[in-house]
Amino acid sequence: METFDDWKLVLLAPWPRWALFVLAALALLGVILAARGLRPERRRSRRAILLGLRAASMLALLFFVLEPGVRHLQTATVKGRLAVLVDGSASMELPTGEGRASRAAEAAEYLRAVMPALSELERTHTLEFYRYGEKLQPLSGPGAAVEPTDEATDILGALEALPRGQGGRRLAGVLLLGDGADNASLSRGMTREARERLRSLGVAISTVWTGDGRARDLAIESVRVEDFAFVRNTVEVEVTVSAAGMGSLEVPLSLQREGEVVAQKSVILGPKQERQTVKLSFVPDRIGEFVFTVSAPVYEGEATAANNSETFVLKVIRDRVRVLHVVGRPSWDQRFLRTLLRNDPNVDLISFYILRTQQDQPRAPEHELSLIPFPVDEIFDKQLWSFDLVVFQNFNYRPYRMDRYLPNLQRYVQEGGAFVMIGGENAFGEGGYDQSPIASILPVEAVGAAVNEEVFAPRLTEAGLRHPITRLGGSVEATRQAWERLPPIPGINVTRPRPGAQVLLEHPHVVASGQNAPVVAVAEVGRGRTMAVTTDASWYWAMVAARSGEGGARHYERFWLQAIRWLVRDPDLTRVRVQAVQRTVPPRTPLAATISARRADYAPAEGARLEVDLFDAVTGAPVERKVLETGPDGTARVEFAPPGVGAFKVVARAELGGVELGTGQDVIAVRATTAERGEARARPELLQEIAEITGGGSISSTARKLPEMRLLEPEVVEVGRSEDRPLWDRFWLVLLLAACLGGEWVLRRRWGHA
Amino acid sequence: MKRKALATGLLVFVSLVLPRQSPAFGETSRLVFVQGRYDGDWNPRPGALRRLAFEVAVRTSIATAPEEKVLPLDSPELFFYPFLYLSGTRPLPALSRAEVENLRRYLTFGGFLLCDDAGDGAFAASCERELGRILPGRTLGRIPTDHVLFKSFYLLSHPAGRTLSRPYLTGVVEGGRLAAVISANDLGGAWARDEFGAWSYDVVPGGEAQREVAFRLGVNLAMYALCTDYKDDQVHLPFIMKRRR
Repeated sequence: METFDDWKLVLLAPWPRWALFVLAALALLGVILAARGLRPERRRSRRAILLGLRAASMLALLFFVLEPGVRHLQTATVKGRLAVLVDGSASMELPTGEGRASRAAEAAEYLRAVMPALSELERTHTLEFYRYGEKLQPLSGPGAAVEPTDEATDILGALEALPRGQGGRRLAGVLLLGDGADNASLSRGMTREARERLRSLGVAISTVWTGDGRARDLAIESVRVEDFAFVRNTVEVEVTVSAAGMGSLEVPLSLQREGEVVAQKSVILGPKQERQTVKLSFVPDRIGEFVFTVSAPVYEGEATAANNSETFVLKVIRDRVRVLHVVGRPSWDQRFLRTLLRNDPNVDLISFYILRTQQDQPRAPEHELSLIPFPVDEIFDKQLWSFDLVVFQNFNYRPYRMDRYLPNLQRYVQEGGAFVMIGGENAFGEGGYDQSPIASILPVEAVGAAVNEEVFAPRLTEAGLRHPITRLGGSVEATRQAWERLPPIPGINVTRPRPGAQVLLEHPHVVASGQNAPVVAVAEVGRGRTMAVTTDASWYWAMVAARSGEGGARHYERFWLQAIRWLVRDPDLTRVRVQAVQRTVPPRTPLAATISARRADYAPAEGARLEVDLFDAVTGAPVERKVLETGPDGTARVEFAPPGVGAFKVVARAELGGVELGTGQDVIAVRATTAERGEARARPELLQEIAEITGGGSISSTARKLPEMRLLEPEVVEVGRSEDRPLWDRFWLVLLLAACLGGEWVLRRRWGHA
Repeated sequence: MKRKALATGLLVFVSLVLPRQSPAFGETSRLVFVQGRYDGDWNPRPGALRRLAFEVAVRTSIATAPEEKVLPLDSPELFFYPFLYLSGTRPLPALSRAEVENLRRYLTFGGFLLCDDAGDGAFAASCERELGRILPGRTLGRIPTDHVLFKSFYLLSHPAGRTLSRPYLTGVVEGGRLAAVISANDLGGAWARDEFGAWSYDVVPGGEAQREVAFRLGVNLAMYALCTDYKDDQVHLPFIMKRRR
């Protein structure tokens, strides 16, 4: 015999739903029509009786048509699911308090303590265990170890990733265990959107926090700076520092560029001002990519020292090439170069022209002249390093007692500056430079021969055919033709190339020391570059070349602008380039870079041998070396094992067929910490808020008991058979219907209604 | 003995008076004035440019060629000498197409033209007309006295020449610099000396002081041609402002 433990009312009529609505509407219509027909009836009691009878008739008719019945059922209770989420993020490695166990250990201990209580709940709910951090992952069981390794904490993401109706069983509740140190959508606290998302989960979340939120810790929370800065322009680095549980203290902050302190500032923090934002400013004095580190001291008893420094890479670029143009006397050569430099928006030109020598007689008192003293000391002692390029054009240094400043110029070039000497009667040997401290940085040296004033057509050397300075055409042939079309020029300082210099343009037949006298020669000197132009008639390539109506001054402009780009090491003219895949990487990440090498003619150097070294940028200590070869496109990818925290330089040296192509470098910063590890403070208040919004309870793990759990009631579902018993097929109901209809008909007749 | 002392004295005198031969790097590195030749009275003030070259060499560090060149206006050789001087007493005849084309390239690619009216202003007016053909679309206008031309070497407050017919200069700007300057005050008349070393013309109304201003303007024009707006550089401004006060 079947046993039923539940029942419910059902309609047994096979009508579709819309038909039932039509029938109900008809019944209502019947009542309304009756009401309209009874309007002439003055006696309210009669109207009420007749209308009541009509309504009862309609209800009885509907009852028959709808066929109501009772369904007897067999039911069962389905267990809901209780999800237990355990924090597996890296911040759980931190201690719950000074000198205490880690938060992860505390969480494990708590779970062990409340396991009996959880087992109790297992009678009505199924327990599911998960770990969360970067994402939600199921655990094999309650005893599964949760290693705190995730480099992010996304609480809301984890809650939303929980399966809602797994296996037909609904989620009845959540127990969330962790430190609350969210660094995803709840990183800045509870927002309106986050509240909505939590409410839409439709389940109470009970929370348990580990750590008391009073960790003693000083942290550099954030460092904000532009991706790039302009050289010689002030850069501001915005640093947010926070201190928890440290009392009042003055924290000295330091900004370092690869070990060299470039800015310092102190910030006062205390219980009432736990967070401060300060600006550290400095003026970068050279271009390139550098690793900067903002650091604060590590105090005793801090939860972590990893967040006391922050590293970033800053690319320092030049806004404009700053050129110092020093001219011995006004000339057409100076005029055309000045016009070119002045008209180039990328050049910031500072000029000093000697308009009057000691022998000149202006025949006017000083106040009637516009002349200014030549500020030798200011330029060559104080400002020299602010220039990207220094040009000496037919300039005699001796009358200005510059002997003592020339060593500065030599050092300036050695340290990365660029220098050009342009010919004339006061340049090179004629200007006494062969005996000066800058003789060693010049690409040419005097041979004691007199100036040659003969007109000549300079000749390109093999190096000059491909060099970016003298490459006037798109191809070697076009370059050769372009130079051949330029007008011959008069006059040359007769010199010979210094060892290591590269001659790009030479005199066709004036020979010095067995070599053709250089017209244009270049040299790499230390970290800088120099160029010698041993004529003062390069302006012929502009003005005289324009007389024919072909080409105009474009070759002159191209020559000089390419020279400037090469001299100031325009990155586009570098033959070996190193480009880090990522310039700032989190800890324990391999360092990767792409290296491209070009031949002398700037074509991809296939099969070039690359020696790639990874150096510590601060100490210069080598870390690792890799040797590899470029592919058909002249590039190769290098990857170094994670080197630890700090600033690193990837330096590549390329060689093809035994000929060195050059070197290139890039920098990579390995951050001391991630956002996950940097935030040492637990956030119990966030977990409490989550519980409050969703209707759950919240408690500290130290209570060693479960928080209030408002679990959804288990669902009851029908199982097995059911039996329908009709209610409409009752005899007395037929009598009731007949009585109502008959009664109404009789009373209508009797009271005079149709 | 007397003769020897006299010779020595003469040598010292000559060394002081004659312009220093600047040790320039061939002729083309010097400033060579070119006098433009055209059909008409193209050289009304002989010796003017020679004297200006002398004064520029004596007063400044510019190395000048002692003698000017004379070239026709359609000569390609003009391009070796970017300072062109054009003078006349009567209107400049309409330039040929070749002359216009040549001067257009000359001024566009860096040349400098000084037009000097030695007459009654008709030459200056005709130069302004021809400049409209040479550099069409460019505006010819007055050069204000705060222009760098008036401080390129000497601090000047006004232009002057043999006369003060017009108290201003006009000019045409090309590529950010003055490519042509027109004077109606007969600069050459103030500069010129005869074969015996005497001034060729009297300067009116200001006499020798006005001649000095004319020379200073000549020096400034030469300096401007070579240095353009150098004296407008920021570094010079405090000094110049102080001296102007």
